[in-house]
Amino acid sequence: MSVSEATPALARGTSPGQRTRPRRSRLARRRRRAGILLSLPAVIVVVALLGIPIGQAVYYSMTNWNGLTAQWIGPSTYSTALSDPIFWRVLENNGLLLLSIPFAIGIPLAIAALLNEHVRGWRFFRSVYFLPTAVSWVVIGMVAVQFFALNGLMNKFLGAVGLGSFQTDMLAGQRSALIALAITFIWSMLGTNTIIFLTGMATLDPTLLEAARVDGLHRRQIFFRVTLPLLKRFVQFSFVITVISAFSALFSLIFVMTNGGPGFGTTTLEFFVYQSAFSLGQFGTGALYGIILFVIMIVVGLVQLRLIRSEDGEGW
Amino acid sequence: MAAADSLPAPGRAPDAPASGRAPASGHPPAKRALRARRRSRIGMIFLIMTAIAVVMLYPFWYILNNAFRTQTQFEQQHGHSALSWSQLFSELPVGRELLNSTLICLASILLILAVSTTAGFAFAKLRYRGSGIVFLAVVAALMVPLQSIIIPEYVNLGKLGLINTYLGAILVYVALGTPFATFLMATYYRGISDDLIEAAVMDGLGYERTFLRIALPLSWPAIATVTVLQFIQIWDDLLVGLLFLQNPQQRTITVGLAALSAGRTSSIPVLMAGSFISAVPAIVVYLIFQRYLVRGLTLGMGK
Amino acid sequence: MRHWKVLAATAAAALLATACGSGGGSSGSTTGPVTLTIWENYGTEQNATALKNLAKAFEKLHKNVTVNVVSQPADNYFALLQAAAVSKTGPDLAVMWTGLFTLQYKEFLTNLKGKIPAADLARVNPNALKWTSDSFDAANGPYVIPLENQFYIGFYNKAAFAKAGVASVPTDWTQLFAACKKLKAAGYTPLTYGNGGQPLGAEFYPWYDLSYMMIGAHPVTSWQQLYSGQIPWTSAANEAQLATWSKLKSNGCTNSDVLTKTNNLGDFETGKAAMMVDGTWDTQKFTSALGSKVAAFVPPFSNSPIKGVVDFAGDGLSMTNYTQHSAQALQFLEFMTTSQAATIINAAGLIPAINGTPTSNPVNQQMLNFVSQDHLTVYPMLDNVVQPNVVNTGSKVLPSVLNGSISPKSALSSMQTTFGQLPATQRGTSYP
Repeated sequence: MSVSEATPALARGTSPGQRTRPRRSRLARRRRRAGILLSLPAVIVVVALLGIPIGQAVYYSMTNWNGLTAQWIGPSTYSTALSDPIFWRVLENNGLLLLSIPFAIGIPLAIAALLNEHVRGWRFFRSVYFLPTAVSWVVIGMVAVQFFALNGLMNKFLGAVGLGSFQTDMLAGQRSALIALAITFIWSMLGTNTIIFLTGMATLDPTLLEAARVDGLHRRQIFFRVTLPLLKRFVQFSFVITVISAFSALFSLIFVMTNGGPGFGTTTLEFFVYQSAFSLGQFGTGALYGIILFVIMIVVGLVQLRLIRSEDGEGW
Repeated sequence: MAAADSLPAPGRAPDAPASGRAPASGHPPAKRALRARRRSRIGMIFLIMTAIAVVMLYPFWYILNNAFRTQTQFEQQHGHSALSWSQLFSELPVGRELLNSTLICLASILLILAVSTTAGFAFAKLRYRGSGIVFLAVVAALMVPLQSIIIPEYVNLGKLGLINTYLGAILVYVALGTPFATFLMATYYRGISDDLIEAAVMDGLGYERTFLRIALPLSWPAIATVTVLQFIQIWDDLLVGLLFLQNPQQRTITVGLAALSAGRTSSIPVLMAGSFISAVPAIVVYLIFQRYLVRGLTLGMGK
Repeated sequence: MRHWKVLAATAAAALLATACGSGGGSSGSTTGPVTLTIWENYGTEQNATALKNLAKAFEKLHKNVTVNVVSQPADNYFALLQAAAVSKTGPDLAVMWTGLFTLQYKEFLTNLKGKIPAADLARVNPNALKWTSDSFDAANGPYVIPLENQFYIGFYNKAAFAKAGVASVPTDWTQLFAACKKLKAAGYTPLTYGNGGQPLGAEFYPWYDLSYMMIGAHPVTSWQQLYSGQIPWTSAANEAQLATWSKLKSNGCTNSDVLTKTNNLGDFETGKAAMMVDGTWDTQKFTSALGSKVAAFVPPFSNSPIKGVVDFAGDGLSMTNYTQHSAQALQFLEFMTTSQAATIINAAGLIPAINGTPTSNPVNQQMLNFVSQDHLTVYPMLDNVVQPNVVNTGSKVLPSVLNGSISPKSALSSMQTTFGQLPATQRGTSYP
């Protein structure tokens, strides 16, 4: 299409006086063609391997698909699924997991503040803190199972510091297993969030902090009243990443640590999708929950985008 | 872009003016006291950082320590042996699975780079009508959770006969990695001056050739970032590998390890040995490229 | 920039490698050497040994066939099998549980009627074959050739009983609690629970226990009503049984980490624990470790002396209907009905399902005597005659009942809710 558009231009603009205009429009056309050509592979990949499956998932969510045969049921599948008490239990788990977000953000903030002091060797520590990010959830999960076991490190530690009465088999109770999951999640997010905040702190204008010190503010006051507000964008970014991880990146961890149990204690929505589909062979129901998960993610993303936009007044 | 390295340490600066500025601290004893307080404060910080480092590193120590025990030694937490390692190699085709992981990672990353560098350049420099929306759509695909598409994806690729082939798993990884990689590359390419591009085009290079000869070589840091992030993501993935590679001969090492643990082999040290082997390559890649990882994250925050 | 050529070359090489290294899948040729793939979920059970030896023996008999036994993670086995059926990339033969499990997955299994000679089928215990057929009527043709005859059963350590002064094997709840008290005083874990054994989930598999609780509560003819809902899961009898069962932990009869203990088998084998509820897939392990000290007993989960035992051919091999090597797969299934196969199965410590084959393991023989000499009523395995969705929910909530973190009432009502969500076709008064 672009070639046939180009030819009339070529045929038209050959006189010297008009060389700049057709040349520029020809350039513009070539730029556009190159733009489309170069961006096409990515678009094809996203559409074919992400877009179409989402559409299919929407379709299948309204059938009783078992992977082999599908029978149309209609949107009533959604009302059936939403009236399943187990679904709300699962959502409850997701909600409870959100309670760990303040810790997943607050602790790295403190660690980043420490690293920011640039005490000797801080770069080494930064490397170390980020190391768990490179390790797979499978490995982390296996160590976590041993850590929380009745004769594992956590209970041994509690016994050693005299808190023996708190010793418990965390992975045996529904709520406590979720707490154990949350603790493991926080531990592994520490590295990522610390780096984010550290980078943010490094972008701060030192004169601002100088001015605050001249005004006689204590270190702690400076941190809470000057540094933190300036880091707002980074806190938001880290919030988004952490929430997205909590909702869609924990599958492997749950798989290895508890397999969703005990009961439905650690079955979050993303794990529930897998279980509905593959353990029970109800692919239609699994697709349905997958769509619900997708919608939730979009809502979270949009809310975040709205918040960031309203602060800066600019896009990314 | 990685400002953390290059800026002067803002944390340290306040101390010096404080001791030099306040009139009362002109007296040597007060200055000494302040310096002592500063030293003890630095000491405290160092101590806390070490404590945190212990917490972060403990699992690695745990894995390594217990990988060198037998099951009985593990239960008694006493004694060491290399038996579990030979057990691991007999229960799992470790070498084969490591090879699978490596091949799949490399092929996926290459495809992701091919697709995202071109698209990133196009969205950053070669704007066309509607490219803004297309870009938004591609990046918004970031929000698509794997679980939402895995079932139709599985069925589609199954119909194409791609289950239990490397290509099937690779395609899924490429699909999952493209949005973020494109976003990263586009952000990076925006930083290249337009004049540079236009000058090359004026010289008769053409946009595509300009991309290859000029823009691409300039973007090695961003490419390195994408490589590291995607390597870790793909190497450590479980769900895709579990479903799309069903035989131990095609499995990646991470999936093999999870299958081992799900089979409840009664030997924890064997699992620890497997964990170590599966974790080492990703850790090595991380250590080599960590600078780019930091950079990539900060890029993603949209400077 | 020269490097891009290198990059492109590497990319092409990598892609080429992936296209060639596409591994697995079916080779398609039926005349040349054939590879049969069998999937199993046996983990570390004796069944794994038996199957491996069967494969080896079969290879010796059929020189052009290689049998590739693949062990899949047990707690996701059926999920993987289902997924593989969708893409038709699964195995030629797959381990399949009998009863309602077979019927749930029969969409991708081959009905063996007419495919296996009737003479071979006649060698198999008819009680076993009927459970693998539609409506549980063997005339409809089996989908599964059973590997062995199984018992859900209790094992106890005779030396421990003697040392603790437990004079006779308990036959009801009261005697069980009394025995526990004595064993605990003597320093043993009376009854050990954990997720060792059948590697079916993150916690222990509660259906052995529930089977015996239902034996204690209902006669075998009433079990169908658990399927149809005429006896709701929330009935008073069921709740009472579960309540007594949960007292096992609160009265100190069990270890405290019933949900997370990984080496309960080890504890029993080393004599730390005195009793364990398990199955014939581990008998040989126990006899190897404890010799003549180990014996079988019927878990006495009943107010009156228990009169039933779970004796059922719980698993076997089935042929997928998308296999490319049906000829060789059928040969393997026929081989499973021969006396040579029976010998191999017996040698692995299992009870063969082939008529007239002796059992060499004394503890297994003891179990057979419960039926033949003590005339205990034979019950099937409860999870094989209850709808899979309900089994799933039960597997999730029941272990927590023993742990004391969920009340029997709420666990049973979870199962009842799941039951209520089933379509009418799946809760009729006869099996599908």
